Parts: sequence; structure tokens; C-alpha cells
Amino acid sequence: MKGLVVFLSIMLTLVFGCSKQNDFTEREINLVSPEKISGFDPINASDKYSGNEAGKVYEGLFEFHPLKRPYVLVPNLAESMPEVSKDGLTYTFKIKKGVLFHDSPAFKDGIGREMKADDVLYSYKRLADPKLTAKGWWVLDDKIAGLNEWREKFAQADTTNYDEPIEGLKKVDDYTIQIKLKKPYPQFLYALAMPYTFIVAKEAVDHFGKEFLNHPVGTGAFILPLFDQSNMIVYNRNPKFREKFYPSEGEEGDEKKGLLSDAGKKLPLVDKINVYITVESQPKWLSFMRAKTDIIEIKDVNIQQTLDEKTELRAEHKEKGMRLFMLPMLDVAYFAFNYENPIFKNIKVRRAINLAYDRDEANRLFHENTAFIAQGPVPPGLAGNRKDFKNPYSKLDIEQAKKLLAEAGYPEGKGLPDITIQTRNETVARQQIEFFAKCMEKIGIKIKVGMNTWPELVNKVTKKQHQMYTMAWGADYPDAENFLGLLYCPNQSPGSNGANYCNPEFDALFERATIMQDSPERTALYEKLNEMAALEVPWVYGFNRTDIYLTQSWLKNFKVMEFNHNQFQYLNVDLEVKKQLSKKF
Amino acid sequence: MLKYIIRRLLYLIPVLLGVSFIIFVLFNLVSGDPTAVLLGKNATAKQMMELREQLGLNKPLFDQYLDVVKSAFTFDFGRSWATKQEISHMIIQGAYPSMALTVPAFVISTVLSLIVALVVAFYRGKGIDLFVRFLCIAGVSISALAYILFFQYFFAYKLGWFEISGFEFGFPDFVPYIALPAIIFILLSLGPDVRFFRTVILDEIYQDYVRTARAKGLGEIVVLLKHVLRNALIPIITYVVIQIPTLILGALLLENFFSIPGLGGITLNALNSSDFPVIKAMAILSSVLYIILSLVTDVLYTFADPRVKLK
Repeated sequence: MKGLVVFLSIMLTLVFGCSKQNDFTEREINLVSPEKISGFDPINASDKYSGNEAGKVYEGLFEFHPLKRPYVLVPNLAESMPEVSKDGLTYTFKIKKGVLFHDSPAFKDGIGREMKADDVLYSYKRLADPKLTAKGWWVLDDKIAGLNEWREKFAQADTTNYDEPIEGLKKVDDYTIQIKLKKPYPQFLYALAMPYTFIVAKEAVDHFGKEFLNHPVGTGAFILPLFDQSNMIVYNRNPKFREKFYPSEGEEGDEKKGLLSDAGKKLPLVDKINVYITVESQPKWLSFMRAKTDIIEIKDVNIQQTLDEKTELRAEHKEKGMRLFMLPMLDVAYFAFNYENPIFKNIKVRRAINLAYDRDEANRLFHENTAFIAQGPVPPGLAGNRKDFKNPYSKLDIEQAKKLLAEAGYPEGKGLPDITIQTRNETVARQQIEFFAKCMEKIGIKIKVGMNTWPELVNKVTKKQHQMYTMAWGADYPDAENFLGLLYCPNQSPGSNGANYCNPEFDALFERATIMQDSPERTALYEKLNEMAALEVPWVYGFNRTDIYLTQSWLKNFKVMEFNHNQFQYLNVDLEVKKQLSKKF
Repeated sequence: MLKYIIRRLLYLIPVLLGVSFIIFVLFNLVSGDPTAVLLGKNATAKQMMELREQLGLNKPLFDQYLDVVKSAFTFDFGRSWATKQEISHMIIQGAYPSMALTVPAFVISTVLSLIVALVVAFYRGKGIDLFVRFLCIAGVSISALAYILFFQYFFAYKLGWFEISGFEFGFPDFVPYIALPAIIFILLSLGPDVRFFRTVILDEIYQDYVRTARAKGLGEIVVLLKHVLRNALIPIITYVVIQIPTLILGALLLENFFSIPGLGGITLNALNSSDFPVIKAMAILSSVLYIILSLVTDVLYTFADPRVKLK
């Protein structure tokens, strides 16, 4: 009996006595990833969250400036911006000297060696290696002279020979490489800032073999000797990180916001990063409210808990010093028509459906009025989206919708079969379609919901077995080409053009625009394409959503950043503020 | 008995062949081409074709089925298509947190349910019996999600008695993290368990041998514990043992809400990403567990009731 009492006492102490709090004395930041991280191989870091983790350990030749907006590309492992030949095909890159890989048993004596030109070329070849079927291959597919041929050659072979020379990938010296493109690819430098092209060491890949994805060895600001796939990832400062400093300039107003107070300081600014994998909204929210985490990305149900009716931060959060960050995302959410279905070949049907959708109410119901009504495929903030352009079919006009439907041969929806919209089996997705169905009822169109697991949905769309489906597309890089390509005919299913929209005029203009460097002419072409797609309505344009983040008051230098996977090295913690405010939690 | 055990273990062969066939057919007929999901939003038709080739999806169907059978019998499940992680490692890594949560919770809930069931059977038809039955029905009528959301909010966040979410490997580090989900697990199990155990015990209570025991002057507690409980053990053992595979395979909702990196989450992720090798591994693993545990149940019968002979 006595033993039982002792045992129970120990267990109760363990259960109740060990509730852990955020450490208010350490210079560490606590983050949340809402998705499980599958591994640390940059060539497969296709989603935002995998990219964010890879970006703590690995680096690319370029990165986006952490403060400047619109997004500006700046050298990272590259010494400077490249020299580009007049025809826009040959890029010469100088690489920084003295950049060291993390210490790892993969290297001689376990000491990380200097990164050189060979590593850059190796990393790009690895992305193209047919044996690895990298998710990121599309960024170099058909872009670099000889790379596709190299890939083809080894597709059927037992091993891939990385020593085989490739016309478009050349080492000039240990710190200079030259890349020759097949055709102008103005987005090329963006590709070199994406996680797919982060630089890895051949020794590490060889040493760890298939387990390389669990042993990240990069040049980044943080080290992670072993990734164990648990629910928490702990990074430590890389003690050998090169001389890289916090920027001394940003966009207007940054100084006032305190975003330049660390200007000139050596990076990274914190000693440790803890990333908690938390999938559900409630624990994410409660952990942040208990100050166990420093940043929270606000989505769905948490929007209401964050904002008041004026779309401002609620008073109780202000009291704790929390800060609200809202920035329009470079994304577009839409319902796509399938052009393979004869009903949707009729532009009047598509326009009628667009006109009957009450977007204001949908914005209120599902986004707490934080989203913007999409006027076309290109979201605001990108060249190609004219601020004063209003899509005449992105407004609510039931009478006009009825008229168009009658003209299409379906008065009051008569003769039109029920339309099924395929979506993911998520509550919010179902509610959104149910609301859409309610809107369509007003013009006599019957909408059904098709619930699918993600693989089922992808299969239906890639096999063109859908009538309509819901989708949201986030930018891979800040260029309208990334959105307009969703309507380019050669990209139709199984590619990203799930609407199977084909318009020769659109395609011809798109092909012209995509090989042009950034210029007023290209912007004009992008605008024309955007407006053409807006009026043709291959989609029911939904929303450009807003990124909403809450941060604790002690977190410094945070700025919403869609592309910069290296941004965590710029974050800092004000320990004094943290200590003071800790009493409020 | 040894012969019986060997024969039952040999049943594994047709069962594994059947399970392999069913999951293979389901995967090929229902889930379609996984490459679009595996390659992500920018996948091209050519890349999808290359991946099909690499995953062996272009091989004749019979050869693909043989691969499934081979992995079922060798337990070599290879690597996940989606995460590229070694599946055996994923299972070991996931089974630990799942079992850290479910095993103690299951043991406590079973013992507690049995005690409560004996008490209410003792007081059958009286106030306490009615009250416990009411609680059991009320308990099972509320969704598990409601328990989770409320308990996490109130006990972990408001009162701060427990960790909100997370997990640490190693005893006793994981105790603060599994305490609250374990309590919820116990509460969720109590309703159905107490009702089942009570019914089984009451079935025995009206048997002739119980009347005889009472007539011989034995006290009610002795009758319940020595005679009734022992005779009720066979259905109880069946009920309890058959739940064990689900303990290893994890409690999906609890794991998700409390960020416990168990097998439940691994299975769900695999389903969402068309990760056939992981789905296959989990299906085969659960079949093997069910067969072995039903054999364990049979063996336990012989201890519970000496009249039972395994032939």
C-alpha cells in the first residue's frame, strides 16, 4: 500500500509538476509547423513548410531581401548578381569565398569544408537526376542547355554519371560558374532562390545515402545534426556561419517599426530555434496564447479569435503586447470549370455563374472580410495585375446572370444538368460549396458537392473526370507567369491547367511574355493576358487571401515573407520585453 | 496446445495472401495514379510517367501483386513513396508514442471499468446502478472531439494542469504530455466498457451455480469475485484482447490534437498522399496483430476456464 502511494505521488508530480513554459531567459524562438516534415532533402522541399525547414540549414545562390517590398532578389551564396549575356542566355555567377559546410562525419575528420563551384553544379545536376525524380525538377526542366539530354541519357542506366559534362553547366574556376540556358528564362534567378536549388555537399549525399534526408549538411545559419521525424525539431546556431549581417535598409517605414534596429549585426540573431509540429488549430492557438510559441499563422477558426469586427486586433491580445501582421498573399482561390464539358464551353454559362456568386458574403462568412475579391488569375502585388482593373463578372448581378443563362439556352437553369463541384473532404471546403450552391439556386442552377481525399481529387482532375473543382494556387515566385501558366493550353491536365482552357491567342501572347525580361512591355502583355482570362472566365474567380500572423511582443524583425525560407536567421528576441511580459501569461 | 498454436500461426499464410490481394486491388482500382499527388502541383505528364516507371507501377499487375506478397511475408516494406523514409523505422518511431499513450490508458480504463461493473452489478437495479448507467450512456453520446476540445482548453490551457500538446521520447519525459490525452482515453472507454462488462457479469449472476454458491452461505463479494468474475472472463478476455491492435495503431484524434507523433497520424498522412507502401505496411501489420492476438485470446481461455481445450 505504501509503495502504491509513493508511486502515485511520483506520477502526480510528473504529470502536474512538469508543465513547461517558454524559456524567458534564452535567446531562442519557438515556432509551429502545421504540417509534418517529411525530410530535409531540398530537391523535394515542395511545400512552404518543408521549404522553411530546409531554409534553416541550407542556402541557395540568391534569396529575397528580408525587408524590401515588392520582393527583391539579392545575392546569398552568390557574391553578386550574375553577369548576363546580351542574348539573355548565358549567366556567369561568382560564388562567395570562405563559406563552410556544417561539420559532419561525411567530411574528412568531421570538419565541414569550403563550398565551391563544384558543389553548386553538383546540386543542380542532382535536381535533374532521373533516379531521384525530384519534386523540384520543373524549375530546371527544359531550361538549361544539355541538362534534359543528360537526364534522358541516364534515365534507363543503372547509375547516373555526375562527371559527364553538360553544355549548359560549366565551372570556370573554383568560385565561378557559367550557366547557359536553352531559351530566355527570366524567372531563372527566382529558381535559384527556391529550396530545390539549395546547395548540398556530394560527400554528405554519398555518406548518408538514402538516409541523407535525415542528415542535413548545408551552409545555413542553423545546424540540425539529425532529423528524427518526431513532433519537434531543434536547431542550434551554426558557430561557423560566415560573416553575414542584418541589412541596414528596408522599405519605407521599416525604421519606424524598429525593423532596422539590428542593422549591421552578425547573423543569426538567435541561438536556438524550436519548431513544434502541431496540426490542429486549437493546440496551436492555445500554445501561442500561453506564450509557448512566438509566431502563429492565423487561419480559419482562429481569424475570429484574433480580429474584432473592425478587422483589427482584439483588445485582449493588444493588452499582452501581441502584434498583428496582415499582408495580401500572392495567391488565388477559385472554382475551375472543365472545358472538356460542353456546357462550360459556352461563355454565357460561365459568366452567369460568375455573376451569381455573392463574393462579399462569402468573404464575410469564410474569411472574416480579410480576403480580396479576385479580379483575374494574377493576384494584386504582381506586375500584370492592374490596380484599376475591375472584372465585370466578379460582382454580384443576379438579373444579368439570369439573362445570360437564358441567352445560353437555359432560362432559369432549365435544361442544365446538376453540376458537381469536386473538393477536398474538409469541413470548410464543403461549407464553401454549399454556400456557392445557395447562390446558384437563385438563377436555377443545382450544385452538388463532391467530397474527395486529396489523392482522389487530384486523380479526377488529372484524368479530366470533373465538371468543376476547387483550387487555391500560391505563388512559387513573384512573377505573373506562375499564375498565367495555369491557363496555358500545353499545361492542361494532367498539368496544372485543370480547367483545360485552350485559347490560341492567349497561348501565343503567353509564349511571347514568358521569354521577356522584366520590362514595361512585358508588364503590358501580362496585363493583357490577365484581363483576357478575366473576361473569358475559365474559373469562378474567388479570392486573393490575406496572410495573417500574430507574434509575441518580444519577437523582433518579423515581416510576412512568402518566399524567403532563410528569414529565420533575421529574427531576434528582446529578452527584456520577454521577461517583463512573461507575467501576463 | 503447441500443435494448435502452430496450426493457427499457419493461418497467417492465407490471411496475408488475402490481405495483400485486397489492398492491392483496392489501391489499383480505387485510388488511381498516385504520381500526381506524389510529385506535387507542378508535376508534368512526363515526370509522372517517369515516376510510375520508377515505382514499378508500369510492371504487369501480377508482378506488382507478387511484390506486395513478398513484402507481406518478409516484412520488408521498403521506403515510403511520399516521405522517402524507411517504413520500418517510421513504424517503430510511431509505435512508441502511440503505445505510451494507449497502453497505460487502456490498462487503467479496463481495470476501472471492471471494478465499476462489479460494483453496479452488486447494486443492480438500485440508485447507483441507474446513475452509472445514465453516466455511461451520456458519456458515449458526447463526441470524442467535444471531450478533447473542452479538456484541452479547460484543464491544459485555463488551469494549466497539463501540457497543451507535444511529446518527448523516454520515460518519464513523456508523462506530462500523455496524461491529459490518457485521461480522455479512459473517459471515452469507460462508457462502453462498463456497459459491456456489466451485461456480461449480470448474465452470469443469474446462473444456477451462483444460486448454489449463495445457498451454501458464501458472501456476495466472494460470489462476485470468485465465481461470477471468473466465469465472465471469457467474453471479457475476447473484448479486451481484440482491442490491443488498435492500441498499437494509435488513437488518431488524440494524437492529432495533442501532437503525439504516433502511428495514427502516419496512417492518415499515407492515405492523404497515396503512399501505398505505408498503407500496405499498416494493413499487413494490423492483420498479423489480429491473428496473433486472437490466438493469445484462445490460449488465455484455457487459463480462464480449464474446461476449454485447444485441439
